[in-house]
Amino acid sequence: MMVTNYIGCFVLIVLGLYCMVVKHNLIKIMMGMGLVDYGVNLLLVTVGFHYGGTAPIFNIAELTRASFFVDPIPQALTLTSVVIGACTTAMSLALGIKLKEQYGTLDTRKIRRLNG
Amino acid sequence: MTDLLFNLIYVLLFPGLLFCVVMGVLLAGLDRIWVARMQRRVGPPLLQGWYDFLKCCGKETIIPRHGKKAIYYGAPLLGFVALITISLFLPVVNGQAAFSGTADLVVILYLLTLVSVCMIVGASATGSPFAGVGLSREMVAMISYELPFVLVILTVSKAVLAAGDGASYTFSLQAIADYQAANGPLITHWALIPAAIAMLFVIPCEVGMHPFDVSEAETEICEGTLAEYSGPPLALYRLTHMVKMFIMTALFCVLFLGGISTGFVVLDTLILIVFCLVLTFLTMSLPHAVCARFKTEQVFQFYWTVVAGLAAVSLILVWLGF
Amino acid sequence: MSAFMNNFPVLAVMTLFVGGFLNSLVGRRHAVLQKIVVLVAVTGALAMMLALIKPVLVDGEIITYWLGNWEPVEGWAIGIALEVDALSLFFGLIVVVAVFVSGVYSFTYMSRDDSLVNYYTLFMMLGGSVLGLVLSGDLFNIFVMVEIMTFTAVALTAFRSHYEGALEGAMKYLVVGSLGSTFLLVGIAILYSQLHTLNLAQIAALLPEQSDNPLAGVAFAFLFIGFASKAFLFPFQPLAADAHAVAPASISLMISGVLTKCGVYGIIRLCYILYQNMDLAVVQYLVTGFGAVTMFICVTMAFQQHNFKRLLAFHSISQVGYVITAVGLGTALGVSAGLYHAMNHTIFKGLLFLTAGAVQHQTGSLDLDGLGGLAKKMPRTTALFLIGAASISGLPPFNGFASKWMIYQATFQKGVETNNFFFIIVCVLALLTSVLTLASFIKVTQSVFFGQLPEKYKDVKEVPLLMRIPMWILAVLCIVTGLFPTQVQNWVLLPATNAVYSAAGYIDAAMGEGYAALHNIVSSGVTSLGVSTCWSPLSWLALLFCVTCAVTIVALLGSPDSKEDSHVSTADETAEELDPKYEPFFSGEESVYSQVGGSDLFWGFKHSWRKYFTFWTNWHSGVVNDYTLYGVVVTAFVLLACIIVL
Repeated sequence: MMVTNYIGCFVLIVLGLYCMVVKHNLIKIMMGMGLVDYGVNLLLVTVGFHYGGTAPIFNIAELTRASFFVDPIPQALTLTSVVIGACTTAMSLALGIKLKEQYGTLDTRKIRRLNG
Repeated sequence: MTDLLFNLIYVLLFPGLLFCVVMGVLLAGLDRIWVARMQRRVGPPLLQGWYDFLKCCGKETIIPRHGKKAIYYGAPLLGFVALITISLFLPVVNGQAAFSGTADLVVILYLLTLVSVCMIVGASATGSPFAGVGLSREMVAMISYELPFVLVILTVSKAVLAAGDGASYTFSLQAIADYQAANGPLITHWALIPAAIAMLFVIPCEVGMHPFDVSEAETEICEGTLAEYSGPPLALYRLTHMVKMFIMTALFCVLFLGGISTGFVVLDTLILIVFCLVLTFLTMSLPHAVCARFKTEQVFQFYWTVVAGLAAVSLILVWLGF
Repeated sequence: MSAFMNNFPVLAVMTLFVGGFLNSLVGRRHAVLQKIVVLVAVTGALAMMLALIKPVLVDGEIITYWLGNWEPVEGWAIGIALEVDALSLFFGLIVVVAVFVSGVYSFTYMSRDDSLVNYYTLFMMLGGSVLGLVLSGDLFNIFVMVEIMTFTAVALTAFRSHYEGALEGAMKYLVVGSLGSTFLLVGIAILYSQLHTLNLAQIAALLPEQSDNPLAGVAFAFLFIGFASKAFLFPFQPLAADAHAVAPASISLMISGVLTKCGVYGIIRLCYILYQNMDLAVVQYLVTGFGAVTMFICVTMAFQQHNFKRLLAFHSISQVGYVITAVGLGTALGVSAGLYHAMNHTIFKGLLFLTAGAVQHQTGSLDLDGLGGLAKKMPRTTALFLIGAASISGLPPFNGFASKWMIYQATFQKGVETNNFFFIIVCVLALLTSVLTLASFIKVTQSVFFGQLPEKYKDVKEVPLLMRIPMWILAVLCIVTGLFPTQVQNWVLLPATNAVYSAAGYIDAAMGEGYAALHNIVSSGVTSLGVSTCWSPLSWLALLFCVTCAVTIVALLGSPDSKEDSHVSTADETAEELDPKYEPFFSGEESVYSQVGGSDLFWGFKHSWRKYFTFWTNWHSGVVNDYTLYGVVVTAFVLLACIIVL
């Protein structure tokens, strides 16, 4: 069960990186960035997951040594990370629109005025 | 009060301003005579350099239209001063520097760089295209000799450290002088001979003597860096050039021929002068007479392959404990 | 120390953030109010950090602030902490000074742009996030701050979107920068899975017990690459070059002076405090190797540049390479040399970027082949530039020399102590890089400030005073920190280095007394840097002064008729044009414009190295896929190295 998750996030990250390295269309690169992001989010959630644990919602009186719940911190981290991922996408799309206006293309091989 | 007086003597007379200038003029004059003799000419009088200096001082200074006055005057002065300052840090006589402990080999290296930089910036400030080409070449020459120079410095430091007590790990000139005073000159150490040869090659390029004077090539780029200079600033550059001959040869003496001391300051100074003369003949007059001027890229390639190679061999030998 | 001072770290960060938001609220209508808000916020942050010098740097206290008062329970840090030790404060000071200078500079420099509200809001967020990063005691907080930093930096890079390449530079920075941030997050996730905590102090206490855990090594690799990408180390340096060249100069200052420092800070924190593995040879090779490669490649790439700021960008990264090289040595001298150079780098690089901005502001161009002769029109900017250039080239007596001197000492000493030839090669590279740096600043000097003035820049004016003040602040800092290296060492570097070497103190301050000892962490700290003879610039300057006086006196005695001077100086421009004394040289003809352009210099050197230069120029292809590929390959390499060896 957990192993599937780890494999899943590994595959997602590798696919995303592959996309970022190989694809020359800016939109596809952004998709790649998204994929990497999802992979990392999955990793974060998986790290904090305990098989059979309950939701981590207690008040201080209910909390005992015996209570078995999934780790809440990675979930909080994941939320933050998801938000950041959304920002990345929004920002890169905005830049993409402007780039298309200025360069007339989204092909990264043609967007290389800054080089050398 | 006496301290101040002594310091003034150090700075102004010996081994500072006066001594450096006298030695510089002497070496430059002898160099010109030797070269002339080797080319079957009579050559100028011994003090020709000094006469040139005086005459330049009396001439009018013409600042070019694109020039920047403050730098035009300031750069030669600063360069000359930095050069004189080096002499105060070199433990040339009795293994003692006038102001020891305030500077080490790295500082010397950078002061020498500062001298060249002043020349370059001064040339740049004239706005002449000849000066532009000249400063470009001067910089390439600097890059060329810097690598072997650095390797030599590391070699000598390592050699001194390997034998020393291991307490101080600095590039200290004093440590080098002390080591040689105790164990004899470093040149007697066979593993250091390649480094010494490399240093011999560094001297003429650093001074800007004939086969390596790419930056001042008279016939091609109208003296390059000096093209627009005239009057007292030019005189100062000429003097800097002459004093540099002395400083570089003295540096060689400090690095490789130190520790020969009789205990008398006068005798020691005479020994130093003799060494400087011999070195001037070997490294400057002889190549001047037998070689035509190198091309810039030849200088660069020569220094980064042959000379740096020699120094590197020495460094590796010293590193391996020979 | 008053108890209220405990709040200063969080207040300083919040001042900048709140200032940013206030600015976007009130600044849209009132241009003056907007500047006041910015000025108050940056000055407030600066003042609060300065107030912390006494307790933290001098008295050696460590300030821990738990947000919401969530203090650790039973040895587990649940809350988010800000922890300020001397190292954090050292970088914090760098940040606030840079933010202050950049903010003041922006007032005039950005006055011709529109939508300044967005600019200042982003700017303040950038400053706040970086300050938050270096003061934070929580790993995930560091990641969040890194992300804010990256986004604001990207947005500010693209701020002048009408500039050629501004969007392109921003896009590359975003794509590859997010790669770095992602690796950072992966590292954090792996670390969390092993230790179940995010507090830096607690991680530092628990990690050494995990030294044979392969996952800890993997996390190290990811975190290292994450921070390295924020410091733009090889192979991430093309991003910095692209971003710097197109960003406004005040932002270039922030990117080079502040953002790269975050990477440096992260690497120091990671290696010395969290993992405490800096005494392992492989980590030393890794860090020093990265530093040395960065240092050398970037300085040679700078030779190929035609854009003023792009050239400065490569130098900036090259100097960061110096810092990382020194930090990677794993000796107290190395760390202090690295910190010293990090500080100096912010100062002189900031100064250089601001002078570049001044040139751009007045001429509208940054093209090294097109500019020339500006020294006549902008003499003060030229003087400032020369101070900065001398500092970065390491000429005595400026600050660059003092720190580079320490770096040479540190590398050589390390090489001799370990009898390892690797460090000697690094030492040679460092010395060589210095002369190459000098060469390319000669190139800038020649092709921008000296030489002949092109016709079209005939009416260029000096920059306004408000822009020169920030530059003078940095220039004075350049000189002061160069003239008093011993004082800087004793008052600033020694406490910071001591903090680097006192992991136990750092842990105890956050987790309670005895926590470090419980986990067998002992650290001795550093009481002296072990430099036996220090270079003393003051005595050198005194000598210089004496000799100058002597030479001047001799010169005056030698030429009593020095009245010619007044004649030259009174001749103004028009008289010079008609001066007949030039006629013999030009045969009475009009002089033609002839300037040796920046890219035509250093022919012999470039020619001999043409294959090398061609290779690296092609390597910096400008295609974002390539940059990503380099990043991934190097990450894979570091990952393999860490898995195999750690």
